[in-house]
Amino acid sequence: MAGTISPYKTNRRSAPAGSGSAGRGAGGRERSGLGQKVRRNLSAHGFLFGALVCFGFFTWYPMVREVIMSFQKTKRGKTTWVGFDNLERIFDDPDFWHAWRNTFLFTLLALVLGFALPFFVAVLLNELRHAKAYLRILVYLPVMMPPVAAVLLFKYFYNPDYGLFNDILRTLHLPTSAWLNSPDTAMVSVVIAATWMNMGGATLIYLAALQGIPGELYEAADLDGAGLLRKLWHVTIPQTRLILSLLLLLQIVATMQVFVEPFLLTGGNGPQNSTMTVVYLVYEYAFDLGGNNYGVASALGLVMLVVLAGFSALYSRLSRNSDND
Amino acid sequence: MAAKEPQMRTIVPQTQLNRPLGKAVYWTVLTVVVVVFTLVFIGPLYWLVTGGLKSTQEVIQSPPTLFPSEIHWGTYATAWRELKIGRLLFNTVYYAFGALAFQLVFDVAAAYSLSKLRPVLGNVILGMMLATLMIPSAVLIVPQYLTVLDLPLLHLNLISTPWAIWLPTVANAFNIFLLKRFFDSIPQDLLAAAAIDGASPLRTLRSIVLPMSKPILGVVSIFAVVNVWKDFLWPMLVQPNPADQTLNIGIRSLATGVPQNVIIAALAIASAPTILFFLVFQRSIMSGLTSGGLKG
Amino acid sequence: MKTNGLLHRSAVAVVVAGLAFSAAACSSSGGGSSSGDGGKAGDAGAPLDPATKVTITADCQPPTTKPAERKQWDDDIAAFNKIYPNVTIKATDGSPCEEPAKFTAQLAGKTQPDLFYAYFTDTNQILDAGGAQDISAYVNEKTVPALKDIDPSVLGTLKDADGKLYGLPVTNYKMGLIYNRKLFVQAGLDPDKPPTTWAEIREDAKKIAALGNGVNGYGDYSATNQGGWHFTAELYGLGGKMLSDDGKKVAFNSAEGKQVLQNLYDMRWTDNTMGATQGLKWPDLMTQTSTDKLGMYVGAPDDITYMVQTLKGNYEDYGMGPMPGGKSALLGGDGRFFKKGSTPDQIKAGVAWVNFKYLTMGKGQFDYSRNKTDGLPVGIPQPSFFGGASLAADNTAKAASATVPVKNYAPYVSTPVPGKTEPANAQQLYKVLDAAVSAVLTDKNADIAKLLTDAESQANQVLSSLQ
Repeated sequence: MAGTISPYKTNRRSAPAGSGSAGRGAGGRERSGLGQKVRRNLSAHGFLFGALVCFGFFTWYPMVREVIMSFQKTKRGKTTWVGFDNLERIFDDPDFWHAWRNTFLFTLLALVLGFALPFFVAVLLNELRHAKAYLRILVYLPVMMPPVAAVLLFKYFYNPDYGLFNDILRTLHLPTSAWLNSPDTAMVSVVIAATWMNMGGATLIYLAALQGIPGELYEAADLDGAGLLRKLWHVTIPQTRLILSLLLLLQIVATMQVFVEPFLLTGGNGPQNSTMTVVYLVYEYAFDLGGNNYGVASALGLVMLVVLAGFSALYSRLSRNSDND
Repeated sequence: MAAKEPQMRTIVPQTQLNRPLGKAVYWTVLTVVVVVFTLVFIGPLYWLVTGGLKSTQEVIQSPPTLFPSEIHWGTYATAWRELKIGRLLFNTVYYAFGALAFQLVFDVAAAYSLSKLRPVLGNVILGMMLATLMIPSAVLIVPQYLTVLDLPLLHLNLISTPWAIWLPTVANAFNIFLLKRFFDSIPQDLLAAAAIDGASPLRTLRSIVLPMSKPILGVVSIFAVVNVWKDFLWPMLVQPNPADQTLNIGIRSLATGVPQNVIIAALAIASAPTILFFLVFQRSIMSGLTSGGLKG
Repeated sequence: MKTNGLLHRSAVAVVVAGLAFSAAACSSSGGGSSSGDGGKAGDAGAPLDPATKVTITADCQPPTTKPAERKQWDDDIAAFNKIYPNVTIKATDGSPCEEPAKFTAQLAGKTQPDLFYAYFTDTNQILDAGGAQDISAYVNEKTVPALKDIDPSVLGTLKDADGKLYGLPVTNYKMGLIYNRKLFVQAGLDPDKPPTTWAEIREDAKKIAALGNGVNGYGDYSATNQGGWHFTAELYGLGGKMLSDDGKKVAFNSAEGKQVLQNLYDMRWTDNTMGATQGLKWPDLMTQTSTDKLGMYVGAPDDITYMVQTLKGNYEDYGMGPMPGGKSALLGGDGRFFKKGSTPDQIKAGVAWVNFKYLTMGKGQFDYSRNKTDGLPVGIPQPSFFGGASLAADNTAKAASATVPVKNYAPYVSTPVPGKTEPANAQQLYKVLDAAVSAVLTDKNADIAKLLTDAESQANQVLSSLQ
């Protein structure tokens, strides 16, 4: 996994990787090399201890347990091994394919809005000579709200009968929309709300990256007589590619596990299951519909894990290739 | 930072802006951007604050009113009292800062160890930590819940205790990764010199590494607090008692049987502390987020 | 929220409804007899010995957003402790009392309270998780004097296949037709004579929709499983069935099932009396009714309470008629279950408390004169699980303290439609049917036969995977 992160930024380490970097400094005591090494390792692991315990209890152990539970079923307090029954069950469920389709659609929409829009906003803000601080604060304001406040506020705006959005459309003599109530627009509505809530973070990161671009590059492009779009395409984007590609990966992984927004806005499934995502399906198997299907939920989680891992591997390979170009 | 900083060279060269046409276009764009951004980002907040001042019938009337026809301050008092927002707010702050403290201690120590002390199997451990970044948290929620219920080996039940929120947040690979990357950039020679002077690793961490790492510590702190602030499903499961709940959970569940205007007032109250905090400290938060080791 | 919000809201508002009478029942359940035969833990059928020292945990104390109900709870605990001074009830509040995720998590971790809230439809889930104790031996005419008057179909929802009892009912609702009397008058209809068949509903809906100004004649839910819930209610009204007799297959792909969808289709597309906004979910129809934008919809009596208390409407404006079709009316509600592993004394204390607070005429939720004083509505026809002498007493007491226009619900009360409980695995079936209802209301070219056939095969698949 570390490989997927590396294109982001490779700070050259000041010391060669591997052991011995600390030993060099204490060269005078080479004689007690072994004891020294043991002591150094003990203290190093001592520093790691707290984090290791927490990872162990709350992430690694549950991962193992997840895999085990995928092949088990618990009914009336008795746990039995059921082989691949749980996997069969999810592949038989029409909701499974439906949920994947929705998840990809959601991810696609979220990329257009949640990934491209903050970049566009960042580029725009970076060009402005005035009111920059004010605008930057504005974009970040929603991030500071408790999500429940932002989401319930949007739910209120989306109400087809008395919501603000339809009222604005009516005032402008435009056709109104059913927003969250229609299978055609529910997903887009969720993405719009999510983007409003979350775009501040990405925008600030892009802004920081943009400010790191050496001005000479633009000057050189000006001398070549490059237009605005060419400069954007040939200077801005390549110069921020590392941060763009890291955020793209994080964004995809994050949107594929989106939960709170659809859960609060449409109750999860949405009209005709139009906002049902894979993570919501996991939740539904495990906690909703009176299922208690931890086994099935775990199996679906496992499938999702494999898909995400495959995606990350593919992604890191692609970005490594393009690095080598 | 902000307006006073010298304008760097960007896509649009300054010379172009000095021409009359360039000037006109620039000021038009600027005006449009300022107006649109204000509407998009302040507009909803305005609606939130004024919605809380309307009567129940007025908030669900169509078409909506821009100003409350009659100001109902009492709605805010009702929301504060009946939804026990003070309690929820306290809980959220308590969980958020507890989580922050644990992360600052354990994650900084771990990142320091992985970056500078380089124990045996350090890279394997880092890899295993980073691997968890790819795992959707919702996927692990079932086994995690069962684990918190009965901690393996120790057989402790953490449900309804703050530990159930604090400790899992330490397992935050992203923060460890950020910290480690920053520590990596601190020259090894500095630490080697300290080691020759006989400084212990802890002392080196305290007196050399941490003072140099303020920007990244700021970023990690913001992330730590924001994560708890925004979390939803996990606190809902591990804090079943309404008296222990966070803002997100408490407001959502109490909202089911409460008039719409009271809900809106509650949302406005709940949003106020963080927004005010942000406005007061925006300068340092902004500079932390934009320069603190996040950029390329 | 979601599915359960709607089935369950009854609980929130319902503590409110009720009757007043007979304080005698409670005293007989309490002291008297038990001290005589000792009430030892070994004797399960005997009432709790007042001398017993026992502590139980309970959920669903009314939240701070319901100050009157919360005060009543505290008063009732104090009164209960006069009879049983050594029983300690440790309560946590809840709103809603049941949150699907939290509930499931609690069952998994066995962290539910000793006396816990659940919907009638949760019984299977609770038993699958091994979460509840068999209380058959503890419930009899001595411990719950009104037992013989409780509707057997309601008690049936709290039993397993072998007839063992796991919980006691606390409240329930029976669906009917809720309508806006103001709009009825404006449309020239008689507000005391609501329609009772779907043909009549269609006609009246046309007249109401003709008022214009965004007013719809009829409305229905079609999201968050509530579309499936209402489909079931309307199917029951027409005499249809959800499940085959052995419970292994669904039976809704029938003439009645088609008629339910056809009615909705006709009103939405042919008559155009339902408006263009669909995908509605609880509480949208109540919001529309309380703002005089909707004429009629299928709902439960406590919807009226919600429209007044939370949406600030007026009791005068709402009426209720019997379930259209009149064959049977969907019946739902909630009860209290007893955690597996509770001690006999804890179970006895729990039974005594539930009996005192929820099942005794004139006490607890049925203390109508107190409800009146506290500004809670009296006269809403809910709960409705009593028959026999208790029903008669309830009606008398309710009439004596009524704070709402009881005559508005006369069409509903005077036409007793038999209650029919929800099917097993209700939420899974509702979810499948939601899509069909939503399709009929949003797609003018919807093929009703195909929608039902698809829903049938999907639902059968769900049922077989649950076996």
